[in-house]
Amino acid sequence: MKKFLLPLLFLFLFLLESLFVQYIPPEVFGRNYILVPHFLFAGILFLTIYSGRKYGIIYAAIFGLLFDIIWIEIIGIYFFLFPFIAYLISKIMHVLQTNIIVAFLVSLVGIALLELGVYEMNFLIHITTLEFMSFLEIRFYASLILNAAFLLIAAYPLKRYFESFAESLRDE
Amino acid sequence: MPQFFLNKRLIVLLVSIIVLVALIGFSLRERSKLTWPEQFLKDTAGWVQSLVSKPAHLVAGFFENLQDLQNTYEENKELKSRMEKLVSLEAQVQELEKDNKELRDILGEEETLRDFEPLQATVIGRNPDRWHEMIIINKGKTDGIKKNMAVITAHGLIGKVKTVNQFSSTVQLLSAMDPKNRISAIVQGETNVFGLVEGYDKEKKALLIKAIPSGVEIKKGQNVITSGLGGVFPQGLQIGKVIDVKPDQYGLNQTALVKPGADFYDLENIIVITRTMTQPAAADMGEGEEEDL
Repeated sequence: MKKFLLPLLFLFLFLLESLFVQYIPPEVFGRNYILVPHFLFAGILFLTIYSGRKYGIIYAAIFGLLFDIIWIEIIGIYFFLFPFIAYLISKIMHVLQTNIIVAFLVSLVGIALLELGVYEMNFLIHITTLEFMSFLEIRFYASLILNAAFLLIAAYPLKRYFESFAESLRDE
Repeated sequence: MPQFFLNKRLIVLLVSIIVLVALIGFSLRERSKLTWPEQFLKDTAGWVQSLVSKPAHLVAGFFENLQDLQNTYEENKELKSRMEKLVSLEAQVQELEKDNKELRDILGEEETLRDFEPLQATVIGRNPDRWHEMIIINKGKTDGIKKNMAVITAHGLIGKVKTVNQFSSTVQLLSAMDPKNRISAIVQGETNVFGLVEGYDKEKKALLIKAIPSGVEIKKGQNVITSGLGGVFPQGLQIGKVIDVKPDQYGLNQTALVKPGADFYDLENIIVITRTMTQPAAADMGEGEEEDL
């Protein structure tokens, strides 16, 4: 039973993003901000930080592929960026010491990198023509704040769960 | 130099970039349908989503009802005043419809571009990355949905069917930035003006109707509907209202900004439209690469 808990958790985050976008009001604080949830990716980064690189990158690749096929219909963007950024984050965490505030900040950096990477790729293949400054203004900052808020709530439970998961791996 | 090739990480990175480019190239090309593993995954995901979305719709509906209760009094007043107008309008419409039918009988013309069959569907998911603006609905090939069908809500057109799976399909919203997303439209006025809806202004939240000749006068508040000339959409679906007109880059044409009638957010129940009149064969539609709908 415990074995299925981890995939189920990520599946839940995967669906939560879609539900969140479905019910979010079009205007937040009277402006046309575009709020983009990256709850799934935040979870993956925490998994990378607390349970080790191997699991983080495997989950990043699997859910990146699922994300691409089910939502985007262009395979490759998230399939590449999820594992790549998870790898970078694990490298950064070699230098820093693992405590919850560092994990929180580093995850935010990871999400920012993801947003920028996806924007650049979409710009390259003409999915969007949004200029960089307006991208920052209407999408980037607002999304970062949203994901920071999510991490504030979820960071501690995620940390607890992934640490116990890492321990159970060590025991085996 | 051999050290360079021994660097495992660098090789992995290079290989994955090549794979990335190949995969993006593969999925960006014009695909009439998805491959079967993709369809299978999407259908499975659709099934799971429909399990989750039902209770979510219920909860959201409950909160919406609470909000509605708050301004019932005001709304009631306004609705009552509209009621009176509606009665006379209804009588008028009935008369006109009868007239129209009689005249059509005389002409012997049965089918029009306006005729369509509606098909109800429920939204079960929405693309969370918000670049591509797509929603997933719970009807698919088995329910008779085909690619490029029009999708509306009670307030107007919202998009077209992008891909079809067996039990679910993906709808691309009008707000998506897709150069292939063109809809043949009419700006209603004393004389009808034809144009193509091309693109969406994200900052102003308005659709763009480009290539209207500069001599034509278009005013704010004019109604925009689909023309049905593109071959797939029926005629007369509400798109929105003109909010602004501006000359284009060289001053030869003008661009009209249209505020969509339908809200692209908070979508729950939608209607997929099947046109009854036959679609012209692809060969008759010219050789254009892009499809006008």
